[in-house]
Amino acid sequence: MDKKRARQYRARIDKALASPHLQGTLHKFADAYLASREAAFAGLDFEELRSAIAAMKDDVRERREELLAEFTRNAEASGAKVYFARTAAEANAYIVELARTRGVRSVVKSKSMASEETHLNRALAEAGVRAVETDLGEWIIQLAGQRPSHMVMPAIHMLKEEVAELFSKVTGCEEPAEIVHLVQVARQQLRQAYLDADMGITGANMAIAETGGIALVTNEGNARLTTTLPKIHVALVGIEKLVPTLEDAARILQILPRNATAQLLTSYVTWIRGAVPCGDGTKELHIVLLDAGRSALAESPTCRDALRCIKCGACANVCPVYQTVGGHVFGHIYISAIGIILTAFFHGLDNAAELVRACIGCRACVAVCPSKIDLEGIILSLRETIGAKEGIGAGKALVFKKVLRNRKLFHSLIRAASLLQRPVTHGERTIRHLPLFFSSLTEWRTLPAIAEKPLRDQWDDIPQQVAAPRCKVAFFGGCLNDFVYPEMGRALVKVLNHLEVRVSYPKKQNCCGVPALYSGDSETAVELARQNVAALLEDEPDFVVTTCPTCTLALQRDFVEHLKNDPQWAQRAERLAAITMDVSRFIVDELGAAGAFRGLNETVTYHDSCHLKRGAGIWRQPRALLKGAGAALTEMTHSDRCCGFGGSYSFTSHPDIARAILADKLDAIEKSGASCVAMDCPGCLLQIGGGLEKGDKHIRAAHTIELLAATMPD
Amino acid sequence: MTGELQTERFAEAARRVGAEVVIVSGATEAAAYIEKRAAGPVLLPAFPSGERLGLAKKLSETRLDAAPPGRQTAAQASAGISGANFALADTGTVVLESTTEEIRLATTLPERHFVLLDPRKIVADALAAAPLVRRFHDGGAPSYLAYITGPSRTADIERVLTIGVHGPRELHILLIEGLSDDPLEI
Repeated sequence: MDKKRARQYRARIDKALASPHLQGTLHKFADAYLASREAAFAGLDFEELRSAIAAMKDDVRERREELLAEFTRNAEASGAKVYFARTAAEANAYIVELARTRGVRSVVKSKSMASEETHLNRALAEAGVRAVETDLGEWIIQLAGQRPSHMVMPAIHMLKEEVAELFSKVTGCEEPAEIVHLVQVARQQLRQAYLDADMGITGANMAIAETGGIALVTNEGNARLTTTLPKIHVALVGIEKLVPTLEDAARILQILPRNATAQLLTSYVTWIRGAVPCGDGTKELHIVLLDAGRSALAESPTCRDALRCIKCGACANVCPVYQTVGGHVFGHIYISAIGIILTAFFHGLDNAAELVRACIGCRACVAVCPSKIDLEGIILSLRETIGAKEGIGAGKALVFKKVLRNRKLFHSLIRAASLLQRPVTHGERTIRHLPLFFSSLTEWRTLPAIAEKPLRDQWDDIPQQVAAPRCKVAFFGGCLNDFVYPEMGRALVKVLNHLEVRVSYPKKQNCCGVPALYSGDSETAVELARQNVAALLEDEPDFVVTTCPTCTLALQRDFVEHLKNDPQWAQRAERLAAITMDVSRFIVDELGAAGAFRGLNETVTYHDSCHLKRGAGIWRQPRALLKGAGAALTEMTHSDRCCGFGGSYSFTSHPDIARAILADKLDAIEKSGASCVAMDCPGCLLQIGGGLEKGDKHIRAAHTIELLAATMPD
Repeated sequence: MTGELQTERFAEAARRVGAEVVIVSGATEAAAYIEKRAAGPVLLPAFPSGERLGLAKKLSETRLDAAPPGRQTAAQASAGISGANFALADTGTVVLESTTEEIRLATTLPERHFVLLDPRKIVADALAAAPLVRRFHDGGAPSYLAYITGPSRTADIERVLTIGVHGPRELHILLIEGLSDDPLEI
């Protein structure tokens, strides 16, 4: 790993975390966005819309050569000149050369991420051409000498006071920090720039093969002026913007503004085909089609879905990491989840290396992506690529390859650790303080102690009285359940026994492999998949139940993926996936026993774990169980926003960001007024429970299964 | 959907994004409406439905001056007037075939934009409009088509919605029955 790069990245995180106004702004926006987005999609079927976009975009990827040729032919037939740039440098060179031969001195630009990507302004400046950004946000950051911190709202990180200061330097007068006034200043200042400019440069939201035209989706009206007043119009268009027909373009219009800014439609959509009249003559239209890594992306079987992106920026809007540190940390040129992937292909793996680890894996972005891109899945595969190239760190490599894969060694080391921790646990179940350089780990949450006796060693002594078992159920505990929270396993037995179900604990089960996978070591993950498939299917159970949704996802999704090309294992992995489920789903959907418990007389709020809600699609079942048992359920705001755990994310890779995300969650829990927060994930429990305890909040955190067990006599 | 419902839906959506929508009976009422709201010279480019309506003559009978054509004068004009080819009900959008530069100047630079629209030309949504858009692209002729939904807006400073950054601050849609039923005509 590159130490200098890592150090600079850390410094950027620290700076962002020290800017409370940044977090305030981003949170305010994110909260408003979620509500207004929902209203914007009222009456529409988002799943249906985005499936159609995904299918269309995949078709474009497959037929890109043919569609590019069709677009070029139609554009040229109507008087446009089309240039295909293989690289960013080629695109810039073409535009600079055009400016030189036409004697262009000044350029007006409307917002274009493609031009940010190629650093076009810098190339123009070096050739003595002055480019003025006309989108308000872009102009602000141009004046500030920064880069956009959001694809759609480039200056979202700035305060009006900072804008006023920048504008005052332009006008030479003291401009008051009033937003209406500042917008008026921009209108006046930029008006003459349009009239004076020799060239207008835009991007495009769509390039329509059928017509050879482009479409620009904007709100301010600057793209209309940029494409009307100057004699020359250059459109710099990434080739992923191709759509086959006008109907396809209309479908993108249906989803893009709604998902980007929760508008039904932006103020302006401008459709330009060919060389339109301009002044006394005809406008010169140049369309520069930009590849610069897109073809390489199309050829990558694991990452190519990222080409479906329509650049709405929603993945940033819902991202807890983005909300905490903003786009100058969580991005390179392109930001947030999609930014990580595009950076790897457009700006090189090196620029993406830190960012791939910054994703906490909550899948909030996957849920709102209008092109149905599995952003988290792609980021994981990139983490693997970078892990293979740069290494995942000697310590981790040793743990995963030598320890995790050897179940007996792994488990005896944990048992040993249970003894070694005694000086810091002081006989308690949680650790409030750690000494020396470990102390930062318990600054903001207590940590649970490793259990004296893991669940696997207790199992055979747990009494199970079931006269006539309804079905054969095996329990996959997962590491936290096994070694940290064995009582959760005991609770599960109690609850399921009550429902006439006997539970077995296959002893050869091992870690689900997610920690290795998320760290970029897929080899270990595949080995663990094999071990677990064999262990869990050995006694041919009817169901495998879990209490950890991350393990559930591993068993349901990852194992199948890992073993799909292995004829010996593929079918068995499919079988395991089909019978694995979270215990709340098992009780409610399979046993139909939502109402089988009584006596939970408490006000409870429910935290939706990322992998349970967005991974396994479970959120109704635990609520049904809690309500059925008599709890007064009170919803916290954003119950499905990540708690900041993320496994090693909160321990080693980004504890500072995890801490800030947790603070939001604790705040929401406290404001709900509940005396108990329920959840169905031991990881969330570690994070939230530890945070509540450290902050001396008198709210208890519990797994739903424990709350159910507590309603029953011992 | 019946025409009346479609018109209602259109008007509601357009008003929601800050456009004014009014029904006027003809040229005299249209000119009076514009006179009341424009504060200086108005730019009236030639377009078929407006010419048939005789709007230029009615405007000349008001206190408003006609802005002479040209870029600098367009930038100084108080208002620009145009027709509309058709409109989209679900988003309150007017669609203007703006290939001639005069239409573009009149609808981008002045502070106010008055649009004349025959409600019979309102279609359901962008998807229903795609076949119409296709007709503008028949043959290889260059074209510049504008979907306009409310006035110019920005939220680039602290996410506060502010009207009128680079384009018109006001958008007035004048519904005139019998103006034109041809979506290819502005």
